[in-house]
Amino acid sequence: MKILIIEDEQEIAQSIKNYFKTNGIHCETAENYAVALIKIENYDYDCILLDLMLPDGDGFDILRELKNKNKSEGVIIISAKETLDTRIEGFNLGADDFLTKPFHLSELLVRMQALIRRKNFQGNNSIIFNEINVDILSKTVIVNNQKLDLTKKEIDLLLFLIGNHNKVLSKGAIAEHLSGDMADMLDNHDFIYAHIKNLKKKLHAAGSGDYIKTIYGLGYKWENE
Amino acid sequence: MSNKKLLQKTTGSFLIFAVITLLIAAPLFYFISQRLYIHETDEVLQFHKGAFVKEIHADFTEKDIKSWHKYNHNIMIFADMGVNKDSIVDKMLFDSIANDKEPFRVLYAPVDINGKRYTYTEKINLVEMEGMVINVAVIFLFMIIMLLIGIIGISKITAAKIWKPFYNTLIQIEDFEIDKSNPPLFIPTDIDEFDRLNKSLERLIEKNTVIYKNQREFVENAAHELQTPLALFQTKIDTLLQLELNKEQLSVVSSLNNDVSRLNRLNKNLLLLSKIDNERYLGKSTIILNDYIERHLDFFTEQAEAKNLRIITEFTSTLTIKGNPALSEVLINNLFLNAIRHNEKNGKIIIRTQDNQLTFLNTGQSAPLAIEKLFNRFSKINPSSQGNGLGLAIIKKIVEINQWEIKYTFENQLHSFSVKF
Repeated sequence: MKILIIEDEQEIAQSIKNYFKTNGIHCETAENYAVALIKIENYDYDCILLDLMLPDGDGFDILRELKNKNKSEGVIIISAKETLDTRIEGFNLGADDFLTKPFHLSELLVRMQALIRRKNFQGNNSIIFNEINVDILSKTVIVNNQKLDLTKKEIDLLLFLIGNHNKVLSKGAIAEHLSGDMADMLDNHDFIYAHIKNLKKKLHAAGSGDYIKTIYGLGYKWENE
Repeated sequence: MSNKKLLQKTTGSFLIFAVITLLIAAPLFYFISQRLYIHETDEVLQFHKGAFVKEIHADFTEKDIKSWHKYNHNIMIFADMGVNKDSIVDKMLFDSIANDKEPFRVLYAPVDINGKRYTYTEKINLVEMEGMVINVAVIFLFMIIMLLIGIIGISKITAAKIWKPFYNTLIQIEDFEIDKSNPPLFIPTDIDEFDRLNKSLERLIEKNTVIYKNQREFVENAAHELQTPLALFQTKIDTLLQLELNKEQLSVVSSLNNDVSRLNRLNKNLLLLSKIDNERYLGKSTIILNDYIERHLDFFTEQAEAKNLRIITEFTSTLTIKGNPALSEVLINNLFLNAIRHNEKNGKIIIRTQDNQLTFLNTGQSAPLAIEKLFNRFSKINPSSQGNGLGLAIIKKIVEINQWEIKYTFENQLHSFSVKF
């Protein structure tokens, strides 16, 4: 899988690159508008991460360029300047998702995975991890041919964990993923403990492996035993 | 101190002057006219006496004196009363016509008739004088009053005309609010001082509006600019988390992680506040608050679980409001989270909707909160709490821009925040 990161802050681009590398995603970077244009002209990507404020141009122009060239890459806008107007303009110009800075790398990763899944959808849209099979469309989870009775939040949590497998996820990152826009106001992330506990119990009851590791004081990690 | 209006003040001094003039002039006028009248009366008395002496005949006998008395009541001739020279006195005498005692001016003078000394007396009734003096005084008073009314009226009309641009400026300034974008429009005037006043006010307002706008934008820009370093901070911590860390390192990274999310929250709230200030949320629509609360009850119940709070909804009526949807949601979320954050273990939260009022009641500390600073930015009720002290400031701001009202009360050990729409 190959993606392009258009971002003038080199350190952010580098962090994304490093984080994604271990999940089998190859990242290329473009630190300005000119380089970005050359790259999207010459290569095809599975996904493009786009910062709107570039030193030599406007991120929206890149969206227009993609549209003109009939390119079908999924685009996630990553921007510090978030207003309703920029959001609407971004979506109108063909962006698929919008993530406001600062964000968690884990959040970016699952959003990108979801976007790529949507783009490459060929009848079968499920995520398989060993004995666990998650059907994205019907929102069902099957373990060892046994359907689990999970809440919407628990499925969401499971997808977040599997998407970030082998990554340490802070409680804050999980809480923000689960509570969406509300997360900005939360000063306590303890509520995710209950969700983790329930998910663990249900997976265990269905005979699934114990993949969720607790990282003391920090968060959780989905790990193949 | 009760303030007077400008026009009242100028006409006021006119009035005071008029009253003082009247008070002094009236008795003075009365006194002088009385003196003049008496003086005239005395001259008449002397004149009558002179005429009497001149016309008296040598054969004026005692008998003639008697018959004189028959026809004259005012001029009388008596046997010598020992009067050596002319003297005029005031006397109260009985008047047969008026059937009462009345003031008289009486002349006593010695006259010689046929070589014999007599005393000549003449009296003139002064009642006429009283009447005349009063008549003249009334006319005089009438004229003075007319004059004063004229002066005051004219000065009032011209003053009103002259001060009109001033009052116009005053009204404009009173209506002016620096956070609203309606600069005052002063009416041009040909009076130099007012023109200068308007011009300096215009300059002052323009300058301050620019400063105010810059200040407002500065907060928004600063918060925006902070997003990028915060993003760097966040991604680096996320990267750091993935390294093989020992327990000690983990705890440092963990607290760093908490710090950055706290910074993040603070920045987002500041950004929200300045965006509200900069009127980024103007679109309004109709929102049914009951529905919104019902929809998000699960989320808040989840947040309240750690404290084992009981959430009770008392929806006595459907509360439909007109407001910006995003801000109205922020308002409710903040009120809700506030009720959770400052609650105690096993406490409760009551959400009540009435006609045009939404109330959040919660258990918590057993004393009422200090109301003065409650809604100020960064005033934390409980210094150890995780809140950043902006929650209530945001609530206040949203309430303000919508011209709603928020009230805090503490009753029956319940903290109550109610918003009147």
